[in-house]
Amino acid sequence: MNKTIIININGIVFHIEEDAYEILKNYMTDVKRHFSNSADSLEITTDIENRIAEMFSEVLEKESKQVIVEQDVNSVIEQMGSVADFENAENEDKATASAFTYNGGESRRLFRDPDDHLVGGVCAGIANYFDIDAVWIRLAFAVCFVIAGSGLILYIILWIVVPKAVTRADRMAMKGEKQNLQGFKKNFEDELSSVKQNLSNFGHEARPFVYKARDFAGDFFHHLGVFFNGAGRVLVKMIGIFLLLVCFGFAIFLIVLLIGIVGFDAMTFHHVFPLSVFESRNMDAIVVSAFVVAFIPVLSIILLIIKALFNTRSINRSAGSTILVIWLVALGFLVYYSVKTASNFRDGATFMQTINIKARVNNTYYLKINDLKYFTAEDSARLNIKTLFNKNMSVIDNDDNIDRELDNVNLSIERSDVNQPVLVESFSARGRNYDEALYNARNTKYIFTQQDSVITFDPKLRRNREDSWHGEDVYLTLRLPLNAKVVVDDDMGRIFGFNIYDCKVENKKENARAATFIMTDNGLQCKVDTLVTAKKDSLKRDSTR
Amino acid sequence: MIVENTQTQMRKGILEYCILSIIAKGETYASDIIAELKKAQLLVVEGTLYPLLTRLKNNGLLTYNWVESTSGPPRKYYILSDDGKKVLEQLDKTWEELLFAVQTAIGDRKE
Repeated sequence: MNKTIIININGIVFHIEEDAYEILKNYMTDVKRHFSNSADSLEITTDIENRIAEMFSEVLEKESKQVIVEQDVNSVIEQMGSVADFENAENEDKATASAFTYNGGESRRLFRDPDDHLVGGVCAGIANYFDIDAVWIRLAFAVCFVIAGSGLILYIILWIVVPKAVTRADRMAMKGEKQNLQGFKKNFEDELSSVKQNLSNFGHEARPFVYKARDFAGDFFHHLGVFFNGAGRVLVKMIGIFLLLVCFGFAIFLIVLLIGIVGFDAMTFHHVFPLSVFESRNMDAIVVSAFVVAFIPVLSIILLIIKALFNTRSINRSAGSTILVIWLVALGFLVYYSVKTASNFRDGATFMQTINIKARVNNTYYLKINDLKYFTAEDSARLNIKTLFNKNMSVIDNDDNIDRELDNVNLSIERSDVNQPVLVESFSARGRNYDEALYNARNTKYIFTQQDSVITFDPKLRRNREDSWHGEDVYLTLRLPLNAKVVVDDDMGRIFGFNIYDCKVENKKENARAATFIMTDNGLQCKVDTLVTAKKDSLKRDSTR
Repeated sequence: MIVENTQTQMRKGILEYCILSIIAKGETYASDIIAELKKAQLLVVEGTLYPLLTRLKNNGLLTYNWVESTSGPPRKYYILSDDGKKVLEQLDKTWEELLFAVQTAIGDRKE
């Protein structure tokens, strides 16, 4: 008594004993693997399957039994021939193959060459593909290795994606014996085969039609392949290579960025605005996950293009799903930190303090921007400021944009009711709750100095470089008594957004470096020097006469 | 080894010629071709025939029709295409030349 299995060979149902089924399955797997390098693998294996089905039917009918047994399978295999037999025949095949190849265009497939390798055979494989000496490719890789290690990365990627030439057929394809874009066609046929499998179950009546449709599809893709092989091939390849280079450049950029941020100490970057939002202790995790989230799609695109372009096999399914899981985990990290960071901005707090400014007798104040660079004690020690620069020297802060988190200092000038001029500083910040927001606001420092009538403002609000950014800003209100004169210079106007140009025009002094304003009942207004304007007007009138 | 190699080469060269010749007789099923080739001791296993037929078909020398079968799946019956007929004519000519060459070469030895 034996267990039987029901199998379906292209729409015909057979009962087969378990042992016999194992043998048949192994045989078909071998056959499929053997022909998997051929463009017509599907057609050939289907032919063989159909013929096996037919032989089974004949055996069952002749011996009027119902079940296929081991002996039947063995005799069928004997008649069909083992894979070893196919290989022998194929070697003979190659000799004459070229005699009947009309569609000329011999092109090569990219393989790693196991016969001529230093490391993984990648260089030799590429050399075979382009039919040049391997030395030049190796030289090119060596040169690229110096450029940010890109040669190494490229080599490793190619090592992973490019299959090794294992069989004799592989080696022949590597050295240019087969038509290209077969892989493209084969993939298509693989996908098609599952569709056909369903179609063939439609029923006995529909079958001839289905078979015709299948042949048409096969022929269609064959001719499509031939077309691409000829006219379109060069263009497609060029576009592919261009895309590949773009993606590759982007991947290298990402890697350099990662190494720059994580490898060379996050200190250098983490206080720069967009990154300063995050807390510095989470910085590396955030940067790495952001890198993974960006890098994996780029890598997948590169692999896809290489696959389409050089007709290589794709990476296996488990590796693919592992990469997908890594990507999702990294994405999860990123979302988690983003939400966490967003919660740091939930509540806001503001506090004010008023500083008296020494009143001047002539009631004139010069507003200037402090363009000196301040160093923390740490930086100063690191850069050897004291020994390198003597005390008379000053370092000018000229990086206008990189360090300034949004516009965090605002200045307005208002009229004061009393004679005592004051500066009101209003600090505000955000935090997880009110206490934290207030703490963040207090944790900042604004520097302004007064020397005689010159008041120097700092262009930015200072805070601890180690802390993350919490939307800290400061609103400065300078309250000056009536008729106080204010001289605003160009830098001041530019940074705090005063329109001093119109005032200069009004005074006909477009080239002046500063403009003078006066405090009136209606607030600050341009002080028009009537003497100058009148004199110039009269002069003009004189000249016209 | 060299002997075997030469034998396979010789057999190989005329295999496709023979297949085309067999199909030229009319609509032919793969197992009929096999039967003929076995008789001629050119091919022993069926499996090797299918890649050959597929390639000849893809090179435009053959076409086929699906014919319903009483025992099993529909069968592919192969026929020569116009290109195939032309190629076969050329091969006929080549074969005669070869035959002449071989006969001339071995003629003295055999007599």
